[in-house]
Formats: sequence, C-alpha cells, structure tokens
Amino acid sequence: MTEFAGHLPGLSTEEVEWRVLDFAAWGESVQVSVPVLSEAQSLALAARVRENARAYLKTRSVAQIVATLDKAVARLLDRDDPWRRKAEALLPIVTGYDAETVRLGLSGYLRTFRAPQLQRFLAEDFANPAVLDAFQPAMKGGFTRAHGPELLLHVWAGNVPGLPLWSLISGLLVKAGTVGKVASAEPLLAGWFARVLGEIDPRMGECLAIVWWKGGDADSEQVWLDQADTVVAFGGNAALTAIRDRAPVTARFLAHGHKIGFGLVSAAALDTRRAGPLARLVAHDVMRYEQQGCYAPQMLFVERGGKISPRDFAEQVSRELAGFARRHPRRALSVAEAAGVASWRNAEEMRAFDGEGRVVLGDAADPWSVVLVEEAEPLAPSGLNRTLKIVAVDRLDDVIPLIAPFRAFLQSAAVAATPEELFRIAALLGEAGVTRICAFGRMTAPEAGWHNDGRFNLLDLVTITEIEQSAELAAEGFADYVD
Amino acid sequence: MKFRDKTILVTGASRGIGAALAKAFAAEGGLVIVNYRRSEAAAQAVVEACRAAGGQALAIAADVTVPEEVAAMVAVIGEEAGRIDAVVNNAFAPYVFDPDDRARFWETPWSAYQAQVDGALKATYHVCQAVLPLMRQRGRGAIVNMASDLVARPSIAYHDYTTAKAALIGFSRNLATELGPLGIRVNCVAPGLVYPTDASRGTREAVKDMLIAQTPLGRIATPEDVAGPVLFLASDWSGFVTGQTLHVDGGLVMS
Ligand SMILES: NC(=O)c1ccc[n+]([C@@H]2O[C@H](COP(=O)([O-])OP(=O)(O)OC[C@H]3O[C@@H](n4cnc5c(N)ncnc54)[C@H](OP(=O)(O)O)[C@@H]3O)[C@@H](O)[C@H]2O)c1
Repeated sequence: MTEFAGHLPGLSTEEVEWRVLDFAAWGESVQVSVPVLSEAQSLALAARVRENARAYLKTRSVAQIVATLDKAVARLLDRDDPWRRKAEALLPIVTGYDAETVRLGLSGYLRTFRAPQLQRFLAEDFANPAVLDAFQPAMKGGFTRAHGPELLLHVWAGNVPGLPLWSLISGLLVKAGTVGKVASAEPLLAGWFARVLGEIDPRMGECLAIVWWKGGDADSEQVWLDQADTVVAFGGNAALTAIRDRAPVTARFLAHGHKIGFGLVSAAALDTRRAGPLARLVAHDVMRYEQQGCYAPQMLFVERGGKISPRDFAEQVSRELAGFARRHPRRALSVAEAAGVASWRNAEEMRAFDGEGRVVLGDAADPWSVVLVEEAEPLAPSGLNRTLKIVAVDRLDDVIPLIAPFRAFLQSAAVAATPEELFRIAALLGEAGVTRICAFGRMTAPEAGWHNDGRFNLLDLVTITEIEQSAELAAEGFADYVD
Repeated sequence: MKFRDKTILVTGASRGIGAALAKAFAAEGGLVIVNYRRSEAAAQAVVEACRAAGGQALAIAADVTVPEEVAAMVAVIGEEAGRIDAVVNNAFAPYVFDPDDRARFWETPWSAYQAQVDGALKATYHVCQAVLPLMRQRGRGAIVNMASDLVARPSIAYHDYTTAKAALIGFSRNLATELGPLGIRVNCVAPGLVYPTDASRGTREAVKDMLIAQTPLGRIATPEDVAGPVLFLASDWSGFVTGQTLHVDGGLVMS
C-alpha cells in the first residue's frame, strides 16, 4: 500500500519527486511517499500560498473560518468518513500506537476543535475576536486590528497523531498563509486535514501547504525559513537552536522545546477506596502515547502519611500499567528506544542494589517499569515508553525545590489534592515555571484553548495595527463635513 | 515447560497430594520448594524425584503454623531463588477421616475446630503474609489453596475439618479481591476423596464404592489428578481467573 503525504496546491503528483518512507507495525506495513520539492517548486508554492491567503483567507471572517474548520473536524470525527477510516487504518502502522489508542486519541484531540471550542480558543486570547476581521475601538482610545502572518511556517516533530493540528489550526484562525513541515515519524495526518479542508472549501485549501524535508536538511529548510515571516518549531533544543540560527532575524520565531511532565499526589488522595482509581489514571497518562508528548508524566511525587503509602501506590500504578499492557499494548520499540528503557531500568536496579529505599517493581521483561524512591530526588527524564519514577516526599511543598532548577523543561503537572492544597501548590508550581496544572487522566489531553507552554498561542502569531487616537482626531479635521 | 525459571512453594510436600504436586511442577521445569514439617527423608525423596523429573528442588523444613518458621523459610527462598511465582497451601493438620466413627457435632469440642482452623487457615495466613513482599515487588504471583469438595457437599459431616476449609475458601475470596489489583491471583482447588494418601489410607471400600457410584467420572481421585488443576491455577494459563474454587472430584459436586 502506498499513501501520498503532503498537500501541495498548484503542484500535480507527476511533477513532484517523491521519497518513500517505510512503516511497519502490528503485522502490517505501509509505504508513505513524501514530497521532495525543488527550490523553485518551494519558492513557487510559498508565493502561491501567500497570495491565496491574501486574496481569500484574509477576506473571510473568523466566524466563517471557524465554521469551515468545524466541518473538517466533524468529517474526521465521523468514523464512517473515508478520511477517518484511512486515519484509523494507517496511523497505527505508521506510529506503532495500538489501534485503540489512535482511535481514542484522535477523537479526543479533534473534539477540542469543534466550533464552540474554537470560539473559546479565540476568546482566550482576544477580548474581542472581531479584531481579526476589522479595526475595533480600543479602550485607551483609537482602534486596533490584529493581522496574522503572511506566511507562517510550522516545523513539527514527533509522532503523536493530531498534535500538529494545534498549531495548524491556530495559524488558520489568525488567517495565516500556512506551510507545515511534517515529521518523518508521522507525515500523514496534517496533509489529510488540509485535503479535507480543500474538499469543503477549495479556495481555503489553497491557502495552506503541507511539505516535507528530511529533518536537519539545512538547504531545504533554509528555502522555507527565508520565505516565512513567522516560524513555529517543535523539537529538542539542539534542533530548535539550529532552526533559530538559520531563521532571518526579521522572522518571529516561536519555539516549543522538550518538556518533562510530572505529577503530585497528596496524602489526602491516598485512602484504600480512592487510591486504586487514581493509580489507574496515573497509569493511563503514562501509557497514552508512550510518553512521547511534551505533557506526559515522567515522574510522580507522592506524599507520605496517607493510608496508602507511596510504596503501596507505586505497586498499584505498576499493576495498572500491567493491565494497560494488555488493553493497549506498547508499540514495538526501535533498538535505540529499547536500549533507552533498558539502560534506565538497569541504572535504577544498580542503585537499588547499592542502597536502601529504592525498589524496582515488576520484571525486566515487562513492557513497563515503575521505580519507587524513598529519598527526595530532583526531576529527571524517565526512560520513556512507560517508565515512571515515583518519589516519596514528606510534604507536597518539598517537591518545589526538586523541580525549580529545571524551569526550561516545565510545562504540565497533574495534581491530586484537596482544593486548598491544589491552589496553594499551584501557586508554588506556577512560580517555579509550570504552565499547566491538570487532573490525572487528562495529562495527554489538554483542554480546548489551553496556552501551550504558557503562551498566548494565537496572540503570539499576530501583529497589532493601531490607529492612534491622534490619527483619528486628525482625520476628523480633514473630513468634508468639518465645520 | 510451563514453569521454567519459576519458583513454586508447595507446603506439606513430603507426602500425599503435596508430593505429587511438587513432582508435577518439577516436570514442567520449575524450581520447587518442598516444604515439610518432620518427614525429612520423605521430603528428600521428593526432591530426588523432582530432579529426576527435570526440575530443580529444595527441601525446607518449617511448621507452617509457626510464623517465625515460615518467615525463615521464605527468607531462604528469597536468597536462593530471589522470587516466588506460585504458592500452594497444601499442608494439612493431621486428621482422621473415619465415617464409621466420626465425631458428631455434640461430641466435637471447640478445640477440635480451633485445631483445624489453625491447621488450614492460620497456616495459609502466615504463608501468604510471608510471601507477599516478594510477589508484590514483581507485581505478580499465584496462590492456590487446598480446600475440599466437602464444603460444597458435606456427604459426611466432618464438622471441624470442613468448617475450617469453608473458612479457607472465604479467606481466599477476600484475598483475591485485595490482591487482584496488585497482580496476584488467589484460587482454591477442592478435591473430593483422594486416594491413597496418609489421610485417606483408612477409608473403607464401602465408602469409596458409595462415592464412586455417585461420581459421574466413576472413580476416586488420585494425587496426580489434583496436579493438573493446581498447575493450571498456578500458571498464566489461568491469568484471568481469581477467587475461584475448582472442584476436582469427577463431577460429584457441580457448581
Ligand atoms: N486426601 C484427601 O482425601 C483430601 C481430600 C480433599 C482435600 N485434601 C487436602 O489436600 C491437602 C493434602 O492432603 P494429603 O492427604 O495429601 O495430606 P497428607 O498425606 O496427610 O500429607 C500432609 C502433608 O502436610 C505436611 N504438614 C502437616 N502439618 C504441617 C505443618 N504444620 N507444617 C508443615 N507441613 C505440615 C506433612 O508433612 P510431614 O510429612 O513432615 O508431616 C505432609 O507433607 C490438604 O490440605 C487436605 O485438606 C485431601
């Protein structure tokens, strides 16, 4: 089976060179052809997208754009839709995630992009979203209007299906001519979304392109970086630095680097009735997408003093992961990933051997791993792919010094605590740099309109044009009705 | 070789059903801990038979009604094997099944009940407590407790014995509920009359004939008959089975 990735308005399949990426998982395989554009093709495509967006997208009202996006999302939510079927059939093979994870994950993401959620998303960033359509009176006097980029370039990373839609949709909401570069690990969904948009509104479909180049291919990247006035990039710090260094200084560069999610469990949540369900939610967050997303938990801090000890709780989480191993089997790991998991577990086992207060739960051959540590330990990445360290602490506040040194890596934290504790600890977490606090079970599913990395994701994309009061008043002076 | 690299503790394995179980686990490649109380020579013979059957075995003397002895035994297992995959609580306080001269209720002192409860329930309690840390760390394990089909069908009223076994079944179900979330399964095997063992050696032919007449499979169980169901419940073949009582009596009891 061959599937063509990307979305290249104005270019026919024949005139483009394609490279084949091979994917295999769950006993099936698929070949994905990704476009390799010449410099001339890239430049022409950039010009076309920019021009189409200027001539069409920017003339549409935000409400109209929301309506079109809503229709496209509805198509992908409909399990009988051919695009949705294709996604359910191919994404498990491409990403290695089990079919159920893909199905549930896709629906979960897409639901956050229905019209009401998109309106909320807009309202989060714009007191009056109409500033995207026309000049609106400003409180201080004068008028303001927000303009999205002429050409917005997204450089996506990773393989969590649907993740690129966050930034793709953000760009379209602010009427940006949009070019998205898909990751080799999941090159399909963004292109499909673009094509669905094109089926619903062909002219809108010509206002965006989905392209590919091999990550790190500096020449191809440079062509696009030179064209974009705004760049949103995802990935590790090294990759981000490389992109930033090549982007023109005049371009706005918005980076989303790697993050380490974590969780806090208060003793109040640890009684014999509630600890079990909570352990399942924790395990769910660890299992979903194999900790590949920036928001996945890699460490858990558990307060002592509850009826259920941190050790008991660790065992329960480990057992829940065993249950999930059947329901949502771990995807096959690459050699490097398997080595990462093994070396993480080995290191923990060595330390457990040396000293008291560290237990490695389960068997080395298990497709998950939980380590319990009785001594305070600073935040650190886990081995990913369902590996979790649980650190016992005397008080939740003890967690703050353990995470504060890693401000650049902080983003999501799940908290299970009483309301008083939640607000007290949230204040401390926020000070330390955490930007998103959620419930367990929701770590991998940020709510509609969330502020990724604590940024105003739509506001960051726009520039504001202000008609100052002076201009308005001066114009009055030149009116033909002036007395 | 269902039990290769696995460690199985069988209590009361020097004789009778326990000895048959030990050999069956060994034949499936397991490392069997042959627990006994006094019969050292018999236990050594079981160890030899286990090795001959293709497994490994280690005899450890411990009175399972004494917590300290159980703890010491499990400590040795921890050092020698580092793990326990399955435990069969089979040891059994001496009891004479004599339908011709059994104690009727009004002849049965509380001390007789107490002795049976200690032998069946207390022993199992101590063994379960002792092996739990090893099982919990690995998030897996199987416990099989030996009950009796007399609980479901007291053809002959052995008050003290059967009441203690009934308590054991209730104990096992609660334990199954508690330990399920930790990955540990608890089940019972309830044989009918098993012949021959030292406990059943004196059973008269007439009694056996009566039982055989009512048993669909038309015979009395041998110790080997018990092995299959126990191995099943101790292995991951029964990975989604817990809190159950499996009757091994040729269909005498159906539930
Ligand atoms: N036989 C039957 O008809 C029948 C029917 C239904 C259920 N069962 C059950 O099956 C199990 C085994 O019965 P069986 O007939 O095979 O018994 P058995 O032949 O009398 O053997 C009893 C075993 O238990 C050991 N033992 C006794 N007390 C002990 C203690 N305090 N600590 C450690 N080990 C102890 C003995 O060790 P020593 O040799 O060192 O004394 C011996 O290995 C029992 O739970 C019984 O209730 C039997």
